[in-house]
Amino acid sequence: MSRDLAFGVAGVVVAAGYYRMAAAIPTSALADAVGPQGLPKAYAVVLAALSLLLVGRSLRTRNADPRPRIPDPESRIPDPRFHLLRALGMLAIGVVYIAVVPWLGYVVALAGLVLAATWYRGGVFNGQIATVAAAGAIVFWLLFVRLLGIPHPPGVWPTLF
Amino acid sequence: MSLDELIAIVPAAFGGVTWGIFGGALPGISPSITMALLLPLTYGMDPTTAIVMLAATYVGAEYGGSIPAILIRTPGTNAAAATVMDGYAMTEQGRAGEALGISLYSGFVGGLFGLGVVVLLAEPLSTVALAFTPPAYFALGVLGLSVIASLARESLVKGLMAGVLGLMISTVGTDPVTGLSRFTFGSPELLSGIPPILVMVGLFAVGELLAESGERGWHQAAPERARIRFPSPALWRRIALPQAIGSVIGAFEGMMPGGGGAVSSFLAYNEARRWSRRKEEFGRGSPEGIAAPEAANNTVACTTLVPILSLGIPSSNSAAVLLGGFLLHGLIPGPMLFVSHSGVVTGLFAGLLAANIAMLIVGYVLMGPCIWLVSRPRPYLTAFIYALVVSGVYAIETSLFQVGVALAFGLAGYALRYFETPLLPMVLGVILGFMVESNYRRALVLSGGDHATFLQDPVSAAFLTVAALFLVGSIAGHALGARRRRGAELPA
Repeated sequence: MSRDLAFGVAGVVVAAGYYRMAAAIPTSALADAVGPQGLPKAYAVVLAALSLLLVGRSLRTRNADPRPRIPDPESRIPDPRFHLLRALGMLAIGVVYIAVVPWLGYVVALAGLVLAATWYRGGVFNGQIATVAAAGAIVFWLLFVRLLGIPHPPGVWPTLF
Repeated sequence: MSLDELIAIVPAAFGGVTWGIFGGALPGISPSITMALLLPLTYGMDPTTAIVMLAATYVGAEYGGSIPAILIRTPGTNAAAATVMDGYAMTEQGRAGEALGISLYSGFVGGLFGLGVVVLLAEPLSTVALAFTPPAYFALGVLGLSVIASLARESLVKGLMAGVLGLMISTVGTDPVTGLSRFTFGSPELLSGIPPILVMVGLFAVGELLAESGERGWHQAAPERARIRFPSPALWRRIALPQAIGSVIGAFEGMMPGGGGAVSSFLAYNEARRWSRRKEEFGRGSPEGIAAPEAANNTVACTTLVPILSLGIPSSNSAAVLLGGFLLHGLIPGPMLFVSHSGVVTGLFAGLLAANIAMLIVGYVLMGPCIWLVSRPRPYLTAFIYALVVSGVYAIETSLFQVGVALAFGLAGYALRYFETPLLPMVLGVILGFMVESNYRRALVLSGGDHATFLQDPVSAAFLTVAALFLVGSIAGHALGARRRRGAELPA
């Protein structure tokens, strides 16, 4: 499936789901002529129409030129499967940070995030990276918590000591 | 403007320029990403200081992009791509310091010219908006959305789809007329909608982190050591014409939708070459080949403010982030900004002047640290940008939910990159969606449901006509381009 075809199909699915949710918005006695569902429904219809246009165009292009699509070496994301997995891994580091920061606290969780992201991107793990991660987390704590006064989660540490 | 206000602006200008130079110097970190990373940190600041800092970041980033372009043949920003040709050639000839000096000085000249254009044009243009009624505001929103057509580059359909997706995101939250909640999935955090800042940080910064996560390795550049040398009087005279060409082109491109620094830089380079007496030197280390694009992209950093300040329409990614800064601080661009927040506007103009002066000083002082930063391994840079994103987004409303929303938009940004779809249409949809819907419905309530009100109001009718012409012109341009491409692909 070409990228345009996949994007078109995804667009149709999003439009259908969004239209269904828009139709489920309750009507209000205060509603104007358009109502709270009016424009959302219109957006869904426009997105569906554009998506179908993209699907039709990509199918027509594929039928006109049945040769397999050679990946563009200049493309930002040339190998989709490998790349998507790598991207999801990087995203997971952020998700884990959100999950653990209330317990581990800002400094420890952030040091973990820096350590994990550096290792994930560089493929190397050593004492220098751990030191840089710890020092970086302390610098961020000084900047955000001490200097800017942002109350980042302290974690369970204050209750332990 | 009081002395106290001025004293607050100058450090903001220096801070923004410093941040911008570092961000711009990092290959892969565009000015918009640099600004998006700073945006959450400005939340607690005074509005004038925050806007000055963001605008100064843009100014600094445009210069910063030329540093790796000249030293390691890698443009830090798209706009610096034109500088690579002659900048790196000069580095190979042992003239890196001279090239950096020309870039810095030309950026300063372009920035001052751009500031003059902003001061002259922004307020007169905004007075048009004093006659605005709900139909006119709706039509203005539609005009802003029509910009998508020119931003869609190769695929108009995909650009329009991204724009509609942005409009859909803008409907999340409380309905502007009835107060009913829409698309909130029962979450109280979504009742006030999805702030554009989360969309921008997610799409630009997190999306880029995810997109580059496929490149695994401990890359480290080894740049040349260099010391800035400002141009001699003879060289000043030689680069005056290319600087003027770059400044004029940058002034127009900055105000045009979809123009931006990259387009203006290449146009300026070409025009400078065309008007030069030493055409043969271009591409082989010509000072003129650096002066024209660097003057152009720094002019753009200022003139991009004209459509934002006067009409609230962003013309590029960086301008959209800047507009996000205005909205974050409760400032609605347009004529009322010049009346109700005249101090912010005056402060911004003073801040831009300070930023351009700061660029000369900071650019000179920071050369060593910039070279050090450019040569850091990418994994460290990625990790610290990630740390900055999660820390900065949390700082907006001390909400981990919002950090999650920004990460979710990062995934959306990754998907849009994968599908080769431009990001800015979605941002425009999110920013303009509420304005379009609320004024459309208000106008219909006032007219008793009569759609003719949009054509009876002269301002609305004018905007809708321009938007229609713009759309038709863009569609025709896209169709013509597609036909040319097909013609070029046919075997002879």
